[in-house]
Amino acid sequence: MSNNNYKILVVEDDRSVSSMLKTMLDVSPYECISAENCCQGLMMLSSHMPDLVILDLGLPDKDGMEFIRTARRGNTAPILVLSARSTETDKVEALDLGANDYITKPFSPAELMARIRAALRAGRRNAADESALSGSFELHDLAIHYAARQVTVGGQPVHLTQTEYNILVLLAEHAGKLLTYAAMHSAIWGEADPGGIKKLQVNMANLRKKLGIRPGDNRYIVNELGVGYRMPLEEE
Amino acid sequence: MKRAQWLRDAALTLGIMLLTFALVLMMQRFFAVDRLIPMLFVLGVFLVALHTNGYVWGVAASLLGVLAVNYAFMFPYYAIDLLTPVNMTTAVVMLAVSIMTSTLTTQISIQQELKANAERERMRANLLRAISHDLRTPLTSIYGACSVLLDSADSIERSRQRELLEDMRKESDWLIRMVENLLTVTRIDEKRMLVKRTPTVLEELLDSVLVKFRKHYPGQPVQLSLPDEFVSIPMDPMLIEQVLINLLENAVIHAEGMQTLEMSVSLANGKACFCVRDDGCGIPRERLEKLFTGYLDRDQTVSDSQRKGMGIGLFVCAAIIRAHGGEITAANLPEGGAAFRFALDMEEDDEQQ
Repeated sequence: MSNNNYKILVVEDDRSVSSMLKTMLDVSPYECISAENCCQGLMMLSSHMPDLVILDLGLPDKDGMEFIRTARRGNTAPILVLSARSTETDKVEALDLGANDYITKPFSPAELMARIRAALRAGRRNAADESALSGSFELHDLAIHYAARQVTVGGQPVHLTQTEYNILVLLAEHAGKLLTYAAMHSAIWGEADPGGIKKLQVNMANLRKKLGIRPGDNRYIVNELGVGYRMPLEEE
Repeated sequence: MKRAQWLRDAALTLGIMLLTFALVLMMQRFFAVDRLIPMLFVLGVFLVALHTNGYVWGVAASLLGVLAVNYAFMFPYYAIDLLTPVNMTTAVVMLAVSIMTSTLTTQISIQQELKANAERERMRANLLRAISHDLRTPLTSIYGACSVLLDSADSIERSRQRELLEDMRKESDWLIRMVENLLTVTRIDEKRMLVKRTPTVLEELLDSVLVKFRKHYPGQPVQLSLPDEFVSIPMDPMLIEQVLINLLENAVIHAEGMQTLEMSVSLANGKACFCVRDDGCGIPRERLEKLFTGYLDRDQTVSDSQRKGMGIGLFVCAAIIRAHGGEITAANLPEGGAAFRFALDMEEDDEQQ
């Protein structure tokens, strides 16, 4: 697989973090371009059309949230938010504005690279075809056969309710992207209601049980406490 | 809040003064002397000043007392007459005594608050001192190692260079976890020592704990037992996650000879009881008592080799559980090893959600 032409835009004002990221990306098969503030970042986003954006939320000229809001008016490149802020409300806000994933400083290079690969693949699948529902999805020994609406674990069929199946498909469709509780709820049930998160959590618990997921041994669905769920694309 | 306080103080003042009045009336039946009367009223004023906020109520009580004495117990009885010299003198003296008493008691309660504040400040200063000390050591090592590498890399063997870099990573890792602990403490509302609770699915919490724990200690298995049914507990999930990670980590670092490490949750009486236990060497008796506060009280001259033994982790655990309205306990088990326990209310908070 040639990744040579993947271009990654890094929007980060801190010189040492920015240079560290550039070094990390240069030894990997990605091309890295960097911007120091929000305005420059937005300009480079439209002129260079990067395949992925790594965005720091605390920028000197404008808030990083503003970048996401503006970028999403026409650009679909996945945005990976990088920040020292770690409250759930920040994460949820960034994700609901259209960021794909969130990684908290400090992070390890391996962690960052895994998230980049996941986000790039998620982005590529979105762009490739609308009819992603044809064919099948596989993750470790979990498989979803869309046409037959069938789910198997290790070749054994798993019987899911309509809602559980919809949740699993939603996660698989957005594998590599962190979905907030609210976003998932409105995707599954249409609209938001206050008791909705509980309903989602109960369904998730049943789904985990049927897939044979034990706490700590969970390879299919990552829990981001207080934020949402993410299906990984590979071992992270 | 303000209004309720005002009403309470007003009711208290009136109540105490009425009681005093009744008491004086009773006293007059038993002893036919007047000496006790002003004394009893001063006692009433004293009690009012002690139990209400500010000067106002104490002064009001003194005025009330003076008028009551003058009205009921001084000649002419059952009439206000402040003009006769003896009545006027009594009134002035009594007023002065009561006002002074009331301002004095108010001072006392202000001073008590100041003392509590000073204690909090002292805690904070101790915490800062302990933390700075703990940060300095790994920083020294990191700073030294990278300076050496920058200045004289050529004269250092390749394997030794690698060692230095590995030390740097290890120390940074320690710093990261230290800072994470500190960050969690800042999430606790400082004034009221409360946390924001959201319903958290137990299974998801434990999964997240184990995933993070495994990143640092991939070789250490953790036995898990939890209820089968769907359990949702109101809590600050990030904070409780930190507590459980700290407890597991604590066992790995300190429980020498540990074979199994177990994390369990059981439900009883509307509470979720968490327990982290190991079968290691147990906790030395002299450490047990100050296990959770030791971080602050330790001797300033503590040597750096003891750094890992006096980590901030357990101190943070205790603060977090206290902010959840609970208490964390540590005990040695009769069959060997140690167990840390805490319980969380399963009840939904009315104000949240």
